[in-house]
Amino acid sequence: MKLKFSIRKKRISRSAGGDFANFVFILISAAFMALPLVLITCNALKPLSELFIFPPRFYVRYPTLDNFRDLIILMSESWVPFSRYLANSLSVVILGTGGHVIIASLGAFVVSKYDFPGKKFFSAMVLLSLMFAPQVTRIPTYMIMAKIGWVNTLTSLIIPAWQYSLGFYLMSKFMGQIPDAILEAATIDGASKWRIFWSIVMPYVKPAWLTLIILSFQMLWADTGSFYIYSEAIKPLPNALFQIAAGGIARTGINAVVMFLMMLVPVTLFLFNQSKIVETMGTSGID
Amino acid sequence: MKLNKRFRVTVENRGKIGGYLFTLPFVVGFILFFLYPFVQSIIFSLNKLSLTTEGYELEFVRFDNYYYSIFTNTEFNQAFVETITEMVIDLPLILAFSFFAAILLNQKFKGRALARVIFFLPVIYSAGVVLKMEQNDFVTQLMKESNINFMFSGEALQVLLKQTKFLPDAMITYVLKAVDNIPVIIRSSGIQILVFLAGLQSIPVSVYEAAEVEGASGWESFWLITLPMISPLILTNIVYTVVDKLTRADNELVLLIKDTAFTGRGYGVSTAMATMYFAAIAVILGIIFKVFSRYVFYRE
Repeated sequence: MKLKFSIRKKRISRSAGGDFANFVFILISAAFMALPLVLITCNALKPLSELFIFPPRFYVRYPTLDNFRDLIILMSESWVPFSRYLANSLSVVILGTGGHVIIASLGAFVVSKYDFPGKKFFSAMVLLSLMFAPQVTRIPTYMIMAKIGWVNTLTSLIIPAWQYSLGFYLMSKFMGQIPDAILEAATIDGASKWRIFWSIVMPYVKPAWLTLIILSFQMLWADTGSFYIYSEAIKPLPNALFQIAAGGIARTGINAVVMFLMMLVPVTLFLFNQSKIVETMGTSGID
Repeated sequence: MKLNKRFRVTVENRGKIGGYLFTLPFVVGFILFFLYPFVQSIIFSLNKLSLTTEGYELEFVRFDNYYYSIFTNTEFNQAFVETITEMVIDLPLILAFSFFAAILLNQKFKGRALARVIFFLPVIYSAGVVLKMEQNDFVTQLMKESNINFMFSGEALQVLLKQTKFLPDAMITYVLKAVDNIPVIIRSSGIQILVFLAGLQSIPVSVYEAAEVEGASGWESFWLITLPMISPLILTNIVYTVVDKLTRADNELVLLIKDTAFTGRGYGVSTAMATMYFAAIAVILGIIFKVFSRYVFYRE
């Protein structure tokens, strides 16, 4: 299997013009996507005098870290320490995302690869659940939370994240693409379902669960949790930052920094993850 | 034999038990955090909900809430039609764009890592907190008001297209709307690109190699390998796009539903609106599924 065809290294007919067109296309679309980030970064570095200049200027002329310093000062004054907010946020994000990936994959694995009674009905329900605007079920969900006694705990943010049905749906679609022959071969060799799941299915769909991690992470990271949590000490970080930024026009500079920080974390995560998305079937050697 | 059948743990039955065990954690949560609230909100939509000192009281009003949303409420119909139309216009464009972008990003070129990150950025922008912050931001507000997207506005194009009379009027409207929406389309295709990208990479290289040995050109292997192999994910992305477009927090109708629930006519009317909206989305997706599943190829 390690043998490689030399023919693969040959470039498939591509012209310089085609390359250039591709490049321009990527550049233009990338510009649309990157502009807000550039603007936010610039804003975070702008001194107050530049933030309110009219007509507004896109780029920063005299970058300072004043806004960052102001934020740090403000944070150090709050009676719940910054590290506490951060710890809350991190535990929600890590437990929520990890649990979601494992639980959704487990479910998606059997649903996409095995037959059992009620499977069709269940898949249909998951698909339908995607279409229902989550804002609507908030009050009944709150009532359930209250009955279980999860209101005002971090559990109320973590556990529902595990059942995020979009992740389940994406996962089952990806797993549906695994050839049955591989699973059959493993079964004949005596591998249990559990074993098949961990050593064949999960490596095979690595790009999918990395996608899932990113999706779930950015959702939970931005979750203010204000719906279920009212004690200041267990509120996640976005809530605190958002309260600071809501101070009005006087805090425009801090608001810019907060936006910058909120974006920085998911972007960095994606930067690290995306190189791993490249490793797949072709390179993992199961084929 | 027949009597014992139920009690025997055959290989087949063991598979079934395994299946239930594997899905159990998801199913329990699903019932708790989706199914029950869902049924509950449908019940609410048939009732008039009033708050009392002990909680709430339900008064059965049959379909009054539905009648109210359709015939009395002035905003619902308009928002409904607008949202659906916008989705129908954007869907093919988002799919085409994200597929194209994924294919380009899947090729090897310098700075690919950076390009992928940039294409993923919109997913982060659309997160709730960032949106809220943007609303707070004084400068962003100012820039939004001073129309910045003039570069790609459809007005110049409109004159051109109307004069040449090359296209029928309905087509012109579509093209113009599409042009006006370019930034929106590009910004709402982050996840779709990611899904396509992951799909493209799970196509084994050996298939392409075989095709190449047989003498297939790049064009042929695109149509005969890439497209069929990725077709299940096209369907997946259609579903994702429709769902994302129609249920995201800054959607006009979702905002209306939310406002109705917490500041407007009350929870009953709001759930009635949501149920109708939900039914409409389900019907749309049902039609799409019927049409597209014929063309989808599943690897055996």
